[in-house]
Parts: sequence; structure tokens; C-alpha cells
Amino acid sequence: MKTAQEMKPNSVALIDGQPWLVLKAEYTKSGRNTAIMKMKLRNLLTGSTTETVYKFDDKLEQVTLDKVDVTYSYYSEPNYVFVDEEYNQYELNKDDIESVLPFIVDGMTDTCEAVFFEGKVISVDLPTTIVRQIDYTEGSARGDTSGKVMKPAKLSNGTEVKVADFCEIGDWIEIDTRTGEYKSRAKAPV
Amino acid sequence: MRAIWDIFCHVVDNFGDIGVTWRLAQQLASEYDFDVHLWVSDMSAFRRICPQAETASSLPLTQQGVKVYHWTDDNIPVRAADVVIEAFACQLPKPYIALMAQKSPAPLWLNLEYLSAEDWVEGCHGLPSPQPDKLEKYFFFPGFTAQTGGLIREHNLICRRQQFQQSPHAINTFLHQLGVSPAPDAMLISLFAYENKALASWLDSLASASRPTHVLVPEGRILADVANWLEVPALATGDHFSRGALDIQVLPFISQSDYDRLLWSCDFNAVRGEDSFVRAQWAGRPFIWHIYQQENDTHLEKLDAFLHRYTQGLPAEVAEPLRALWQAWNSEGNMGENWHTLLAQWPHLISHAEEWCGKQQKVTNLAKSLAQFYQIRV
Repeated sequence: MKTAQEMKPNSVALIDGQPWLVLKAEYTKSGRNTAIMKMKLRNLLTGSTTETVYKFDDKLEQVTLDKVDVTYSYYSEPNYVFVDEEYNQYELNKDDIESVLPFIVDGMTDTCEAVFFEGKVISVDLPTTIVRQIDYTEGSARGDTSGKVMKPAKLSNGTEVKVADFCEIGDWIEIDTRTGEYKSRAKAPV
Repeated sequence: MRAIWDIFCHVVDNFGDIGVTWRLAQQLASEYDFDVHLWVSDMSAFRRICPQAETASSLPLTQQGVKVYHWTDDNIPVRAADVVIEAFACQLPKPYIALMAQKSPAPLWLNLEYLSAEDWVEGCHGLPSPQPDKLEKYFFFPGFTAQTGGLIREHNLICRRQQFQQSPHAINTFLHQLGVSPAPDAMLISLFAYENKALASWLDSLASASRPTHVLVPEGRILADVANWLEVPALATGDHFSRGALDIQVLPFISQSDYDRLLWSCDFNAVRGEDSFVRAQWAGRPFIWHIYQQENDTHLEKLDAFLHRYTQGLPAEVAEPLRALWQAWNSEGNMGENWHTLLAQWPHLISHAEEWCGKQQKVTNLAKSLAQFYQIRV
């Protein structure tokens, strides 16, 4: 059993015998030092989605899922195609990979994990830290070098990320995929 | 047949849990004709806010149409109700949940959450929380907008309040019953708060002001700080001290209805937690909120969220000192300067308090939205 606050995107909870994939999980502090978890779930048997709320310490039965290393290959509407080392292809639509979709870009080389439930691929996990290139950002407005002043920047797929004010177009940056937040400037991947 | 509602209240600390659930239970019973059973973990807390219950010896007590039970490990309902409310995320007894699972149709199970003015509340209000055994619980959030469950507000409350405030005789009679006789030109303040180091700077300021102030302090956690400021070892009900322009008088712990009248009688109310915070808003008078302190200063975000709503429409010269005063009160800051700045804006504050009350009055009340939520699912 896991507590609700331990459930992350791509976890699967067994609720009343039904497997529910966590698409989104938001931790929010409520009153008197308690918290709630708002989750968007998809039923892996019926495909229906629902929004739910749990107390942060509610116990949920987590299903252990099989995982296989894959890389992103290409987009073939309406599916994103990933391949493993043996060139097996796995197709997932945007709803399957909602939580990582903002970080899927053409040419990405990250080693991802395809997630399976009862032999069927259901989603993909990205590494905790990924490196992406800034496609567009305004110039530094204040000349800040501390990294504390932030400004918006766009990746090549249009995803907007708040980056340090000193970042420029063409810079490579590290992003935490759990939060979607900028971590630091990075070297270009080789 | 009247629907049975079981409301479970685990008294953790103070009087917020029991204050809110007792008001809600009464309203559900009296205005919606539900058969309401209030299960309380600490009967002494209940008896303090409902003094009429002091003399009753047998349980359950029946007060205001509500049956009140002492909830213990050995004393839980023997049947599942039609509607079950766990107040403030309290844990229902497992045997009771088993009874709920056996009941057909399954009860409507609600977790009544804490009040917050934050935006996320709207996105969580009314969402399901599926539980084992086909039971479905819903999270119910009180709040300040139509997308939430609203605030507790009894039928005719505002009308009764306005009639009271328009009658100097009613106010004087009430204050006289409490043993309070303020000077005719004194500003009357009620003070209900947690321990607060900011208090001393406020009392300093009031004592040195040109206008007399009379502070009424119902028994509670702030008394020790008041005693410290007065440099007396302790305070008890009935104590009355004068320091400069300031009179401080200790009141007994009073019933909810008398506390309402106290708020209605005062020019300014210092309130705390959840129950008195809401009642101060219905009083239509300027007030300050001492919010329940949480880890990592989470409470300050919640304070800001309320201030953001409350100060909308106020000119900056009023909103800024108001915000500064509330933040000082909740961060052990200096109250004096902010208080004096705010006094210069007093007419604005008075009219704004009434406008805010009117605005909130347009939002459905908590008991009504609970009743509707139930009716839709019957």
C-alpha cells in the first residue's frame, strides 16, 4: 500500500478492483497541517478518466508495472512512437503521455521507460532531469546574473518554461520533469 | 421519512471543530428538517459552546433538534445514516465504515474540509474520492465563491444582526448582561486570538491613543499575553484593568449566540481560526483574523489568499495598511503604526465590511449546498 501523496504520474492504483493510471497528481496543503492530493486518473480497462481527491495519507493499493527502456522515434498522428533496443515499436496517444508531453521534442535522445500493464503499453516515463534547447526567449531585462530573476522561454515544441534571466536563445537547459521547472544551464547533449 | 445525517467531529484542539459542526448541525436540523446526529469526541468542548447542555446528564443530549452523542471507540452508531459527514478529515471508525458498505443504497459520504480562500478550492470542491467496497466519498469545501460550498449562514442571520445593530437599547442591554459599561465615546473591541506576540504593540498603541478604547477578552488562549502586557500574574473572568486610554475586561467563555451578539456590538473584532472568522464577516464590522499557524508558513499563503479577495475594490490607501496590519498580527509584527494608519481610513473600513458581508450573502450557504448535494444524489 502507498499513501496518496506517494502516488505520482504513471503510478497505477487498484481501486475496488479497477486499475487506475495516475495522469496528474497535485499535492495541496489544506488546514491544520494536513494536505490533499488531487489526481486525474484513467481507468486502464475502460479508458474513462476522472478527477478525484484523497487525503494525503489515504492508503491506496499500488500496482507494480513492468517497464522497458525506450527512446522517442517519431510522431505519426495521432500517436507518438517509441522504440526499444530490439526495435519494437510502441505507440501512445497524447492522452497516454499527458504528463510528459510538454517535454517530447523531435530528435530527443533521452532514455525513457515505457510502462506496461498486463502486457499493454500504457505510458512513458521521462528521466527526472532532461536537457532541452531554448527556442525563444526575450533578452535579459535586468542584467541579473544570480539566477534568481526568472523570465519565460519557449522550447522547440512551444512548451513554456521559466528560466534564469541570463539564459539566451540557443542555450541548453536542465529541466526537472517532476515539476517542469528549470534547474540550470547545461551543455549541449552529445 | 426524514433523512438521517451523522456528523462526526473529532475535537483536536480549541473550539473550531465543534463550533463549526454544532452550527451546521443545528441549521441542517432546523432549516432542512433532517434528523441530525452529532458525534463528538470531547463532550466538555461541546458543553462549553452550548451551556444549555451543562445541566443535561443523560446521553444523547437533544439540543436545538440535534441529538448529540459522545463518540468513543466503544460508542459509535449502530446503523449507517443516509448522509455521513466526517468533519475536517477526521477518521471514521472502521466498524462504522463496514456498516456503510452494507447499507443499500450506500450513504452519501462527505469529508467537510477546512475553509480556505485559495483558488485551488474551486477545483477540488465536490470531487469524488472512491473508497473500497464501492463506497464513494466526496470532498466538500466551504468557501467564498459560487464554485464552493459557501459559508455557514443561518436563515435571517443578517436581518437579525442588522436589527440588533440598529437598536442601541438591544446593544446596551446585551453588554450590561455581560457586565460591560464602556465610556460613551470608547471604541469597543473584542479580542479572541491564539497566543500572539504582536498584541503588546497593539495594546501600547491603544493605551496611548487620544480616544478611549475598551477591549473585551473572552476567556481563551490570548489571556496570558494580555496578562503579561498588564504585568499581572494571571487574568480571570470579570477582571477589569485600565491603562491610559485603554480599558481591558475579561469576559466568560460565552455561547455561540452570545458571541455573535458580542461581534455585532463591537466596533472592531479580532477573531481566530475558522468559526469566529466567519461570524466576524457576518457581523458587518471591520475585523482582523489570527489564522491557525501551520508548518512552513503555509498559513501565510492562506491569509494572503483571503486578503486578496477581501481587499478587492478597496482603494490602495485603505487596502495597504489593512494588509500590513493583518500580516503584522500574524507574523509577530508591530501593530501600532499600521493601526494608526488604518484608523484614518475608518469610514472606508466600516462600509467595506458591510459590502463584503452583502457580497458573501449572495453566495449559497454551506448547509443549503450540502442539502442540495444530497438531494441531487437521492
